[in-house]
Amino acid sequence: MDEGDRVDLTPVVPAPRKRSSNGRTVGVLVVLVGAVGLLLSQGLLRNLNYFVTVDEVLAQKQHYGTDTVRLEGIVQKGTITRTAVGTSFVMDGSEGARVPVNVTGTPPQLFQANIPVVVVGHFVSARSMHFAGTQILVKHSANYIAAHPNRVKAKNGSVR
Amino acid sequence: MNKVTQRLLGPLTLLTLVATVILGLWVTPKATMHDGGGDLVRMLYVHPALAWVALYVSFGTTTIASALYLWKRTRSDTMDRVAYCAMEVSVLFIALTLITGSIWGRPTWGVWWAWDARLTSTAILLVLALGYLALRRANDDPQTRARRSAVYGILVALNVPIIHFAVTWWKSLHQNATVLTVSGKVSVHGSMLWTLLLSFIAFTLWYFWLLRARYRLEVRSDQAMQSHLAAAVVERQREGA
Repeated sequence: MDEGDRVDLTPVVPAPRKRSSNGRTVGVLVVLVGAVGLLLSQGLLRNLNYFVTVDEVLAQKQHYGTDTVRLEGIVQKGTITRTAVGTSFVMDGSEGARVPVNVTGTPPQLFQANIPVVVVGHFVSARSMHFAGTQILVKHSANYIAAHPNRVKAKNGSVR
Repeated sequence: MNKVTQRLLGPLTLLTLVATVILGLWVTPKATMHDGGGDLVRMLYVHPALAWVALYVSFGTTTIASALYLWKRTRSDTMDRVAYCAMEVSVLFIALTLITGSIWGRPTWGVWWAWDARLTSTAILLVLALGYLALRRANDDPQTRARRSAVYGILVALNVPIIHFAVTWWKSLHQNATVLTVSGKVSVHGSMLWTLLLSFIAFTLWYFWLLRARYRLEVRSDQAMQSHLAAAVVERQREGA
């Protein structure tokens, strides 16, 4: 038998089959659903409302107990005090409710009186009105007013 | 797009972007710490304009082009290409929106990221936009790819109104709309407002410049593919002869 007539008996490895377009499409959609589901579970499903207001919490104090919540309110003027471990101040609700807050850590650079803030924390006890926070988030408005040395404030609080 | 517009698009984009940078960094005043956060206000000339392009202009282009592709009367490869290219540019703008928002959020809110409704729904939009690009790669047949992409492109656009209204429907850490307000009232002072509006024009022009460049690249790529295919067929015919 000639060299050229020899039959190659080496087992042929079949070429890897490419997955069909439909299979890959389903794969992409499965990954997408997983990724979106993960983001939803972290974000929207837990925090559709990112915070509860001071008024809401005090109206349902028993319900919240000592659970960790994000509490929103206005920082009352003249109440901010630096403590050894952080900051203390009083948060006002829009309907007259008030909550004294102690927060550990450094507040954000825009933290000041008369602005809305969100404090992450919990009430010290189910009956206590004192709120112990671990983080302050400053809630910025959609107003942008130029800093101007000659600007005057009208009696109604508007600035020209 | 006629030739004059095409020629003017690049220079106009550059001019408005440079003007935005100059006005935003050197001409406009600082804001008060209470309303604007001092020099942080300068992010106002970048972030909202990026979000405007990402959500409305770019995603809108994909949605409209996808709808026109699905409608038999207007179905064409051009619509499919426009939808695809616009989505690619969308990914860039959504990512930049999230990044600049994060840079602004750290000194303002005190955190880089918050799982509030506006931010989360925008992050979902980025994932969905990346999913569109993945979906296109998953389909070999051009017709199937175009049809599936068009349907997907329209479905994911449903997330855009959710993002827009997230700050009014739910309690959000993110502030309410600065320009596209429900009442139409904008609380931005003087030169800051004009610079903000200029940034919207500049970034919109930049988007169209990018879209045009990407579209031309896609056309060239398709042409190259067709010529390679034609050459391969001729080669095969020769072998058979």
